[in-house]
Amino acid sequence: MNVKKAGSASDPLWYKDAVIYELHVRAFQDSNGDGIGDFPGLISRLDYLQDLGVTCLWLLPFFPSPLRDDGYDIADYTSVNPSYGTLDDFKRFLDAAHQRNMQVLIELVVNHTSDQHPWFQRARLALPGSPERDFYVWSNDNQLYKEVRIIFSDTEKSNWSWDELAGAYYWHRFFFHQPDLNFDNPAVLEEILVAMRFWLDLGVDGFRLDAIPYLVERDGTTCDGLPETHAIVKAIRAAIDEGYENRMVLAEANQPPSQLLPYFSNGDECHMAFHFPLMPRIYLALRQEDRKPITDIMAETPAIPDICQWGLFLRNHDELTLEMVTGDERDYLQFAYSADPRMIINSGIRRRLAPLLDNNRRRIELLNSLLLSFPGTPILYYGDEIGMGDNIYLGDRNGVRTPMQWSPDRNAGFSKADPARLYFPVIMDPIWGYQAINVEAQLGEQSSLLHWTRNMIALRKMFRVFGRGTTEFLEPENRKVLAYIRHYDPDSASVNDTVAASAGSGDFTETILCCANLSRFAQPVALDLSRFAGMVPIEMLGYVPFPIITDQPYMLTLSPYCFFWFELSGQHSPTPQQSS
Amino acid sequence: MTTSTSQSETEPAKISTQNDAPLIVLTAPFASEDEVNLEQILANLAHAWPGQSLRVATAGDATVHAASTSSNGINLITYPQSCVSTAAPLLTATDFVTAADLLREHDAQSCLMLGADAHTFAPEVLAAFSNALSQQAVDLAVPCYYLGAHDGLVNSAILYPLTRALYGTSPRFPLATDLGLSTRNLQRLAVSARRFVSANQEDALLWPVAEAAAAHFSIVEVDAPGRTLAQPATQDLNALFSHVLGSLFSDIEARAAFWQRVRIAKPQTAIVVQSAPESAYDAASMVAAFQLAYANLQEIWAIVLPPTSLLGLKRIAQLPPSDFVMPDSLWARIIYDFILAFHMRTINRGHLLGALTPLYLAWVASHLNVIAQQGSPSAHREAVAVAFESDKSYLVARWRWPDRFNP
Repeated sequence: MNVKKAGSASDPLWYKDAVIYELHVRAFQDSNGDGIGDFPGLISRLDYLQDLGVTCLWLLPFFPSPLRDDGYDIADYTSVNPSYGTLDDFKRFLDAAHQRNMQVLIELVVNHTSDQHPWFQRARLALPGSPERDFYVWSNDNQLYKEVRIIFSDTEKSNWSWDELAGAYYWHRFFFHQPDLNFDNPAVLEEILVAMRFWLDLGVDGFRLDAIPYLVERDGTTCDGLPETHAIVKAIRAAIDEGYENRMVLAEANQPPSQLLPYFSNGDECHMAFHFPLMPRIYLALRQEDRKPITDIMAETPAIPDICQWGLFLRNHDELTLEMVTGDERDYLQFAYSADPRMIINSGIRRRLAPLLDNNRRRIELLNSLLLSFPGTPILYYGDEIGMGDNIYLGDRNGVRTPMQWSPDRNAGFSKADPARLYFPVIMDPIWGYQAINVEAQLGEQSSLLHWTRNMIALRKMFRVFGRGTTEFLEPENRKVLAYIRHYDPDSASVNDTVAASAGSGDFTETILCCANLSRFAQPVALDLSRFAGMVPIEMLGYVPFPIITDQPYMLTLSPYCFFWFELSGQHSPTPQQSS
Repeated sequence: MTTSTSQSETEPAKISTQNDAPLIVLTAPFASEDEVNLEQILANLAHAWPGQSLRVATAGDATVHAASTSSNGINLITYPQSCVSTAAPLLTATDFVTAADLLREHDAQSCLMLGADAHTFAPEVLAAFSNALSQQAVDLAVPCYYLGAHDGLVNSAILYPLTRALYGTSPRFPLATDLGLSTRNLQRLAVSARRFVSANQEDALLWPVAEAAAAHFSIVEVDAPGRTLAQPATQDLNALFSHVLGSLFSDIEARAAFWQRVRIAKPQTAIVVQSAPESAYDAASMVAAFQLAYANLQEIWAIVLPPTSLLGLKRIAQLPPSDFVMPDSLWARIIYDFILAFHMRTINRGHLLGALTPLYLAWVASHLNVIAQQGSPSAHREAVAVAFESDKSYLVARWRWPDRFNP
């Protein structure tokens, strides 16, 4: 009898308050000296993650795979890549995470498999038209779906590839060795649900649905986000809701804001979706020193069902994608952030957060302050909490997937293996190298980025407003300043009620004023806070009361890349005078 | 016809109580076949200073010019040929040292330096110089040449707008080949010139307009219609840029403390001079050179220019020659960023100035297209100068905080 284990979350909306940490098992910690990270190693680092304050771990694919796309080419959906450990290791990891009150998200890569998957090997040999054959999308020529864009444009020249054994073309939206599954075949969805339930039964708390817009193809369309695709996703969601409590699905859909809404549907499709259009505009706004790219995209962002949530991120395992900006914006961002053409892949930029920002501590803090205070759930990429660098000379997107830098010791403390045996070399240059940037050093330095990140996460977790509140952007004359109000009223029936009562004074309401200077120079700003007249802004990091708000413009001076979080308080007790 | 552009805050130039005529220094040497030109100059000078005794210094053998003396009240002085700059027609350190020595030797109150082809100066223009130096007692008189629409483009593109924006001065030709100088101004310039000469940089250029502005000397511009200018010795644009812009950028670097404090109170209006219609031009070759450079010099430009400028260049690189226009604001920003890169030694200075050449060609093509469409070179020159003035705060800010993470 299959025993279902519960997830670790008791709140159905746990993902709204979560701080998600994305990591690759392979890159995090090696326990057996083979140069490859594994689950036992990851278990040994859970205390670090708990101390950092993250509440949910998103694991990149760890399934058996030929690793031609870093695990996104799956050869077996219900097992663990032996290099990373065993299924038992995974179960132990899951239990250990849950004991620390951390949720675990894993990947559900349903759009495609590896060409080494038994399904594809079987399909190649099967008769055309048979159920086995129809697990994938075949054609006698490569003219079908001609309008569909190529995603990996740097390496693939077509979405069709010829298979000699099958005597036919097969469809693949990604690499040629990742044939797309055919969801017009009901058997495919059945198998996917079997795989999904396998992990849910073990107790995983949710799935990131990789490449979800591309499930179904129809000729004469872009094959992106078709109604039939949404029907499949809804079926996946329904299967989860039917059998499991407090689980979550996160959609990876790199689409414009208006086209993201269907992935939430009426709250019966995905719980979360990445806000892809916002992310490059943060970098655009920073470099242009103008809030407009951010405020424009937020104005275009549709309201989503109350139980749904945006996933916010600054960087991830992929390139900084520039698909959701205009041509001019893409050119500008490439000029601004990729001095070397090698940094560009598939029109995106394959660099980590700190190198993108020229290792400027203020800029790093500023962007993280936006990540932690914007409406949505923040997702941190492993290593960015210590400002890790990258290696653009590694192929594909591997430069941002190097071993975690734990210490200045051999192999950055990641592995005891011969350095030549590491799955990727550690970063070792004078600026970004592990001797200079590592967890051990930053734990010992109170002013480090690691401590700062930990403190900011802790502060965010004290206030539900960041994950659940409304957002209203102010429009001061100085466009180099981004200012917004976050408000949360736990007693309101819906977000709309909260909006109407944004200056309410309920006991548990939270009203936060966030103010960020996007410029490298000091800036003045005059904010219209008249509707909060009489309230006192309390600067949240230092718990410092600022002058009371009146019906006059509220003047602030912001140092370069400075940000403020103010809690607007109805009353404040003066801090006792300190004796000298 | 003259425009006063700055007032002295210190003691004005001394007005001579003796012979008010300046010492005339002809900086270009005369060979025997140039005798006619020399005759013409002397005649013009005599006409400009009627009844006055003039001292005219020229390089070369006095016996060659013996026939041209004293009959028209001119005392011809010769100075050694070795004292003549080899970078004619530009005035160099050697020229200023020579003029200062002659000024002191002959106890003159002011000096008029005339470059090559000075015989094209009309007597009335020479008289205007005289008036400026003696009666108005200015420290620096700079001619405003009347050039064709296709002439003096380096000056229109860079020298004039830059000098105007940084120093708040209005002379259209900050690197004029002819100058009227008070004693104190010339002596001040000679101090700088001697430093160059002693460092074996005899052909180093000086920037009298900037020097006078920094010293708060009075500057006046004298219209010089009809005056033709000799072509530079080299037609190699790279060599010209290296010499002229290298000198200008170094001078700007040295005077940073001054020009960063100069505030332009209001946009200055220059005299609009209508030029004669020009012949057809070929923008296609210049645009092609720019487009080729755009493909090959991206790496260097990306080190120097911010993303906004790179994006602007990408846009114009896609334009056909007939529609090729570079926004004035983009050009101003490019020059300012090249000055910054020069100052910070971002890359080798020679390579840097070489990388500017195709951008200049793009500006020329754009300029010619603009005046072909709008018909007024002066109007476009004015627009370019205003763009430089408007964006000066960018240069100041980035000079003080050179972080390249800027828009």
